[in-house]
Amino acid sequence: MAETLWTLFGPLWHALSVVLQWQNVVAIVVGTVAGMVVGSLPGLSATMAIAILIPLTFTLDPLVALGMMAGIYNGAMYGGAIPAILLRIPGTPPSIVTTFDGYPMAQRGQAAYALKIACVSSAIGGTVSAISLMLFAPPLAQVTLMFGPAEYFWVAVFGLSSIAVLLGADPIKGLMSACFGLLLGMVGLDMVTGHERFAFGNRYLLDGLNLIVVLTGLYAIPPAIMMAEDALTKGLSAKDLAIGPGESVLANWRGFVPAWLRGGFFGILVGILPGTGGSMAAFLAYNETKRSARDQNSFGKGNPVGVAAAECGNNADNAAAMIPALTLGVPGSGVSAVILAGLLVHGLQPGPQLFRDNPDIVYGFMIQMLLTSVLLIGFGGPFAVRTFAQVLRLPRVLLAPMIFGLAVVGVYTLNNSLFEVWLMLGFGLVGYAMDRLKFPLAPVILGLILGGMAEQQLRLTLLINLGDWTALFRSPISLILFGLTLLILLWPILRAWRDRARQMADERG
Amino acid sequence: MTGKSLTAALAALGLGAVAVGTAVAEYPEQPITVIVAFSPGGGTDVAARSIEPYIEKYLGADLTILNKPGAGGEVGFTALAQAEPDGYTIGFINLPAMFAYSYERRTEYSRESFTPIANLVYDPGILAVRADSPFESLADLIAYGQENPGALPIGTSGSVGSSEHLAIKQLENKTGTKFNHVPFGSTAPLRTALLGGHIPVAAFNLGEATQYQEEGQLRILGVMAAERSGMAADTPTFIEQGVDLVAGSSRGIAGPAGLPVEVVTKLSAAIGQAMDDPEYVESARKADVPLNYQASDAYTAFIVQTDENLAAVWAEDPWK
Repeated sequence: MAETLWTLFGPLWHALSVVLQWQNVVAIVVGTVAGMVVGSLPGLSATMAIAILIPLTFTLDPLVALGMMAGIYNGAMYGGAIPAILLRIPGTPPSIVTTFDGYPMAQRGQAAYALKIACVSSAIGGTVSAISLMLFAPPLAQVTLMFGPAEYFWVAVFGLSSIAVLLGADPIKGLMSACFGLLLGMVGLDMVTGHERFAFGNRYLLDGLNLIVVLTGLYAIPPAIMMAEDALTKGLSAKDLAIGPGESVLANWRGFVPAWLRGGFFGILVGILPGTGGSMAAFLAYNETKRSARDQNSFGKGNPVGVAAAECGNNADNAAAMIPALTLGVPGSGVSAVILAGLLVHGLQPGPQLFRDNPDIVYGFMIQMLLTSVLLIGFGGPFAVRTFAQVLRLPRVLLAPMIFGLAVVGVYTLNNSLFEVWLMLGFGLVGYAMDRLKFPLAPVILGLILGGMAEQQLRLTLLINLGDWTALFRSPISLILFGLTLLILLWPILRAWRDRARQMADERG
Repeated sequence: MTGKSLTAALAALGLGAVAVGTAVAEYPEQPITVIVAFSPGGGTDVAARSIEPYIEKYLGADLTILNKPGAGGEVGFTALAQAEPDGYTIGFINLPAMFAYSYERRTEYSRESFTPIANLVYDPGILAVRADSPFESLADLIAYGQENPGALPIGTSGSVGSSEHLAIKQLENKTGTKFNHVPFGSTAPLRTALLGGHIPVAAFNLGEATQYQEEGQLRILGVMAAERSGMAADTPTFIEQGVDLVAGSSRGIAGPAGLPVEVVTKLSAAIGQAMDDPEYVESARKADVPLNYQASDAYTAFIVQTDENLAAVWAEDPWK
């Protein structure tokens, strides 16, 4: 027993001494702060920041480079919540979910409280995820292997079924938004036949629509237009900006625990499945928290628990996404793909031999993922709240052009493509119209992310099995996911039945 | 024209020649942009960023990597083809993918749009199965493909028209077999599906498989190369197993058409020196990058041959 414990913790213990060398400590601090800044600027992403960092790290020790990457990764995931809460502009795709309750809270004058919840929840999600990475990386990698095209198809369908919860006040409009998202997901070259779909002979559309471009357009531009319309020349006065101690997250911790548990669970699950990413983790954690809550109607109107579930979910995706990346060479998310590239640059090939040949680096990186999560509380806490919340004091006529500028620069740096800047602005107008006509925006993004995935995996499944659709129901995992999807879709009917049965029982009784 | 003005014209010409001469002699005198037609963090991007400092060392100029992804690289290749041929814009090109697009759709470049500078990497294609697969050799696979035409799915890391897809087509034509082509789009999900037993056979590149063979997770049935690779010396080639098939993907550096010869020579030499740098060779070996330096002339011939092969395959059996 003692021996097995040592094989597990021995390398961790040894790596810890390396991680705590001063240059590595500086690296994670710099990385975390940089990540928060990058994450909080719409259009700028952690993927890009790390990709730019890679060439600069050639001459550095691998752990210094990885420490910065770990910091950027965790910092950006929390940073995305800052504009999501303050301005309803998600800084990163997963923080869309944070806008649902975070922005209403800010409007109610609880911006500081919302930011604190986001910070603590991100830290908890990241910590849980990092621990899962340390303890379970090899066995969880086996879970990844159990997922083939059929299973991924059901993962995507399961995710799409959560749209039902996002439909908002008017379900018909919500469904139309979702269909619009699915349609956007079809743009580009068809991988199986090589035919162009909705590309109109434009080669910039052949790879499909970039998620960041659509997200920035739909979410960042409409608020800027509306700010310009209102043309308020005054911001909040320092007195009105409630960033004082406010409510304490720690004092209310009991209320958040169920949301954190769900966030942690879905984050890790989604993390170890490549190709899904933090957005889905946040969506699922939020949905489950809402579904099981007694006061469902308070969600979307500024329920602090909603912020906690979303932020915990998207940060819990981070370290878990590194599990298939480190053990199998399959990145679980866009950011982990770039980190993988960073490892390759240092001559570190992912796979079992990485754990055997370079334990200090692998385990050191895991510890860095843990430390940077904890650091979030230090830097993302009162300090960041006091700094970033000042944004609300800016006169809105100044804020609007700044958002425009950041969105344009952010999208251009993505692929050095002016076409995508125009595309982003075009989606900005679409988003503005949708906002004015009260169409929800979140289903568009979810449709775009999951529609393409569902289609591709369905076609791979059918192709491998020569068109035999029963292949979709062959494995236990497929059946479980299928069952869960059915349950989610039928849940409202089941509940209506239950309520009616209870009512009838009451009447009889 | 009077004698005087003729002299003046000649003098002007001479001055011009001198000016051109010094310009070339001083090349490079400003940073050189290197277009990478894929996103940061992708295989080509990592390769470019890995060798960048070594080329800088031997060329004595700064290189700036500019990612121009889109349309499977077509956006970046087009930007390179349309760049000013002054030696200050070069880029990575990927064969055979970039020319395969020209058959599938109208591209704004062709073979003549580029000046080949040097090839850097050649990664041969392979067919691999999971370690516990009943297929022990290429012969087993061919026998199965002949008896059960179209029944055996083979996953490829590209889409339609990728080097692996074309290789499978050639394999079918040469051996009278028929397989079920399943394009996965990229290597990582394909390799996971193979390891997880969701697809029985997969075609991808050697450099992305050797580690897994060494760990005993995968078995490489054959390498589509002219001779055995140093990276997997025990693995037989297709040719050794009676199938005359050579296929793979390569990464090299080219400029737009009309690049001055001096510029090409200088760049080509600097790349050659960079690829001989022991430090770089060691890092490439660790990352399983199969280096294959070809100077401008050899690379040009290789490009012509690749394009002609594509034309032949397309003429016989268009893949789209």
